[in-house]
Amino acid sequence: MGRRTVSRAEAEDFLYREAQLLDEWRLDEWLALFEEGGRMEVTTTDWNGWDSSSAGAFMCDDHDLIKARVKRLKSRKAHAENPHSRTHRMISNVIILEQGDETVWVAANFIIHRYRDNQAFTYVGRYEHVLVVDDDGLRYRLRRSIPTMESMAPGARLSFIL
Amino acid sequence: MTQLTHTDPGGTPNHSLVQEDWEALTFKVHRSAYRSPAVFQKETSRIWGHTWLYLGHETEIPKPGDFKSRTLGGRPLIFCRDSSGEIQVFFNACTHRGTILCRHSEGNTKFFQCFYHAWAFSNSGELAALPGDDAYADVPGFKERHRLRSVPRVDSHEGFVFISFDPDVPDLLTHLGEAAHYMSLTAKIGPQGMQTVPGVQLYSVKGNWKLAVENAMDGYHFAPTHNTFVGYLRETGFAVTDDDQYAYDLGDGHGLLILTGHNGRIGMVWEPRFGEAERERTVAKRQEMEDRLGSELAAEIADASRILYVFPNLLLFDLEALTIRQIEPVEAGRTDVRAWQFVETGEPDDVRALRIKTMVSFVGPGGLATPDDIEAYEAVQRGIEATADSADPAWDWSDMSRGMANEKQGNQGRSIDEGAMRSFWRQWSRRVEDDATPGA
Repeated sequence: MGRRTVSRAEAEDFLYREAQLLDEWRLDEWLALFEEGGRMEVTTTDWNGWDSSSAGAFMCDDHDLIKARVKRLKSRKAHAENPHSRTHRMISNVIILEQGDETVWVAANFIIHRYRDNQAFTYVGRYEHVLVVDDDGLRYRLRRSIPTMESMAPGARLSFIL
Repeated sequence: MTQLTHTDPGGTPNHSLVQEDWEALTFKVHRSAYRSPAVFQKETSRIWGHTWLYLGHETEIPKPGDFKSRTLGGRPLIFCRDSSGEIQVFFNACTHRGTILCRHSEGNTKFFQCFYHAWAFSNSGELAALPGDDAYADVPGFKERHRLRSVPRVDSHEGFVFISFDPDVPDLLTHLGEAAHYMSLTAKIGPQGMQTVPGVQLYSVKGNWKLAVENAMDGYHFAPTHNTFVGYLRETGFAVTDDDQYAYDLGDGHGLLILTGHNGRIGMVWEPRFGEAERERTVAKRQEMEDRLGSELAAEIADASRILYVFPNLLLFDLEALTIRQIEPVEAGRTDVRAWQFVETGEPDDVRALRIKTMVSFVGPGGLATPDDIEAYEAVQRGIEATADSADPAWDWSDMSRGMANEKQGNQGRSIDEGAMRSFWRQWSRRVEDDATPGA
């Protein structure tokens, strides 16, 4: 039995809030959405459900690496994101996949428009997150982004948080 | 040195886009070499059409019937292992009317069947099914003439499979020259061999392919471009240094950087971010390598990192962990990149996980370092538009003279100089600009 049941609305609020933080580059607040030891993955476009520890990935960050990534992205020396891209995130099709004792599995679709250097890039995919359920909210245990594209389009790097 | 105006880039061979002067100690590349569709067309024909190209690794298709479809030099190919276990490389076009035969990116099959008229080919290339064959004269002869078209040359070294569209190229080992040795070093790291794993990074950059080569052979950029990555390593307890690191011209455009100060090496040179368990394993692994290979060879393999460039389309990064990167030019300003994690076969799960986490934290479009390299290629590609047909033609050249004075004195070029880039450009010029020797 879970400590409490997480509604789709609560999961949506969490994801919308995160999208706002990321679009506004409020990365310290975003980092606080992870539990201690939380992880982040971005799978490659050939992903077939395999464990990220046994196959290549675009991102495979443990908590220390997420912190390093945030620190990097806040630096003026993160050249790929200086100046920062403008991003605009749309999140929909939110589904509670499974509620466990401590965690809830949430899936959602995303479309992220990114603009930089007078160019536009579109990233399409879905999230499959594992969230820890606390009395006062949700925290990432695993934040996983799964691109739907067949490959990253020309110029469409992953220098930001997908 | 002559200054030239390149209104017709890639024109007569006298007007080389690569200008080298050992008196003045200057080395310049004309920026049209990155911009010009005419130059790109020449490269496609004279380089990609007439030399060995890295296609893939044997371990990508381990079982009979396994295949990958992959475009190389702009030509769609099927890379497969036939039912008898032999590697086959076919042009991915039905011999009937040219339809893409295999529209899947990977899989396992005994037959490739064209959807258009249902011609079916075995995975060793025979035309096995010809629907309505009573309407053809001499069916056996017709079928034989319509086998799948095999790429003229296929050969491999240490599991790295290369192809050539030109049947008259020298042997693969002749082409690889000194680079073969360094591929062999990497191939010997694992006692049970080395392999690719799924999870291929497929991405594309808005930059000329030669900018990706230069970047890999350019140690000068590491500290400023990767400032934040160097800072991350410092915080984990590893101090990056560029001291005593050298670049090597391996001939025929192949290049090598040997690096001792940029990173540890999983299983071989410990650094704090690898963790304590890995520290102990590194000692045991070194002993295993010495027992298997002798201490001298073990040291050559283990002690230093290497970035190996095999002309024209393979980069082998043997760093913290290993990545195979393949460069596929699409147009003058666009390059597709494919990157495979390369791992020890049979290694423990926790080591595999550490290896992938560590390598991915550096390389690829989502790493903490490669995005800044991509920013560099793309910023150069945009920047070189500024000086095209400029008032002073001298402005439209890029400088690669760093370290020439040192090199002229006979010293080994440092990794932070531009010698490895120069040897690449010399080979490029021989290939693309010398009309007398289009092949070989």
